[in-house]
Amino acid sequence: MAGGNGELKLVGEWASPFVTRVKLLLHIKGLSYEYVEEDLRNKSELLLSSNPVHKSVPVLIHDGKPICESQIILQYIDEVYASTGPSLLPADPYERAVARFWTAYIDDKIATPWDRLFRAKTDEERAEAMKQLFTAVEALEGGFKESSKGKDFFGGDSVGYLDIIVGSLVSWVKATSVLAGAELINAAKMPLLAAWMERFCELDAAKAILQDVDALVEHGRMLMAKNAARASK
Amino acid sequence: MEGKEENASEAAPLKLLGSWASSYTHRVQLALRLKGLEFEYAEEDLANKSDELLRLNPVYKKVPVLVHGGRALPESVIILQYLDDAWPERRPLLPADAFDRALARFWCHFADDKLGPAVGAVFTSTGEEQEAAVRQVHENLALVEAELREGAFKGRRFFGGDEVGLLDVVLGCGSYWLAVFEEVTGVRLVDADAFPLFHAWLRDFEALDEVRETIPAVDRLLEYARGVRHMLLGLAGAGGAGGAGADAPSSTAADAPTASPPPAAATATAADIAVDI
Repeated sequence: MAGGNGELKLVGEWASPFVTRVKLLLHIKGLSYEYVEEDLRNKSELLLSSNPVHKSVPVLIHDGKPICESQIILQYIDEVYASTGPSLLPADPYERAVARFWTAYIDDKIATPWDRLFRAKTDEERAEAMKQLFTAVEALEGGFKESSKGKDFFGGDSVGYLDIIVGSLVSWVKATSVLAGAELINAAKMPLLAAWMERFCELDAAKAILQDVDALVEHGRMLMAKNAARASK
Repeated sequence: MEGKEENASEAAPLKLLGSWASSYTHRVQLALRLKGLEFEYAEEDLANKSDELLRLNPVYKKVPVLVHGGRALPESVIILQYLDDAWPERRPLLPADAFDRALARFWCHFADDKLGPAVGAVFTSTGEEQEAAVRQVHENLALVEAELREGAFKGRRFFGGDEVGLLDVVLGCGSYWLAVFEEVTGVRLVDADAFPLFHAWLRDFEALDEVRETIPAVDRLLEYARGVRHMLLGLAGAGGAGGAGADAPSSTAADAPTASPPPAAATATAADIAVDI
């Protein structure tokens, strides 16, 4: 690698849970990096040139080379900095597959209606997205059981890949619960996940990185109002 | 994922549940062959899924599912990475360098998230909607072509280098639908002049022994695709291909065996193959 001095730069946006994932891991690994906050309505040359295909955050730039997409970034950091701090993905091949499975589930089945919820143009659309989101989240209780095997975290005794993936969503879970008027991770229906969430929030990394819930509630309200207003033109 | 917890040693038997026309299934079959791993294959009727499949993949209820030492793994790209993790000494699919691995994973996700659905949209649509889908396919192919020409994969015979790797398997098992869809829908998708490197790569990929063993014969794929498209157009009420009732594929396929999904399952079946690439 030419001229590599190990410089890390993270291009992100404060509200994005995908960016939160990377920040959480960098914190857990004790890695220092330069952070660049993007205004997604006015994307920087840096973002457009380092992620020309999707033009989205997060992008990790390591020694000038861009790595895109949160899952890919997490695995990259885990592999490159394997000897720095704790390892993220389990060592066992099957457990790795389980971690990847639930990540794919979250990014597909949960993220999609969640996104739709905020982009909905009508009350009906919003209600439908809400219903799908709540249903999709329920499966995570089983995912936690399978992954944790009775221990405190998805990763077992200590924080692992899935803890970061799901953990990155916690502030949004709380904000959405406020906006929906109902707990997205309902302690009665999902006791294991609810308990995990409290535990996760006690971690130093969570306290340092997770977004302020009130700020997300306001941000969420703004998004919903903006998309509903567009529709009524 | 379902399955008993057993130690899945390398010697434990492998079983693959799949569907003959599913490119996601082909990915796993190809990877197993490339790694020289023996496996039992069980064909699933996607219109009538087995209890075994529903038990092993309760979340998605889809093929492929790989069963190893009693444990089930769904989702083709997850299965492919599992094979690398479990048999690291056998013909690795992912490159050794972390940055190259990130690139391979990025373009695999692109194939499944952008290119595949665009190709599927061409197949399931007509008229202006189809024209827009074709433009989308071309834009996506142009991005891949650019990486072959001057980007991440410049100068390589395969995406994996001199030998096929993860991205070749993911992109390749599905790219054969391009020619089939061109034939069935009459639209031009992969112009050898517009995408010379992609075209050359696909030709080299399809010439490999393991690939020829895995991909079904073109006429079976054509017959199947014609049947599904006919059904889709019939269901949509479009005049389209003959406009016959939704219970029979086109007459040329009347004598041929298999590949005649019942109307109710047509859309589901189309979704299983139409988003493949």
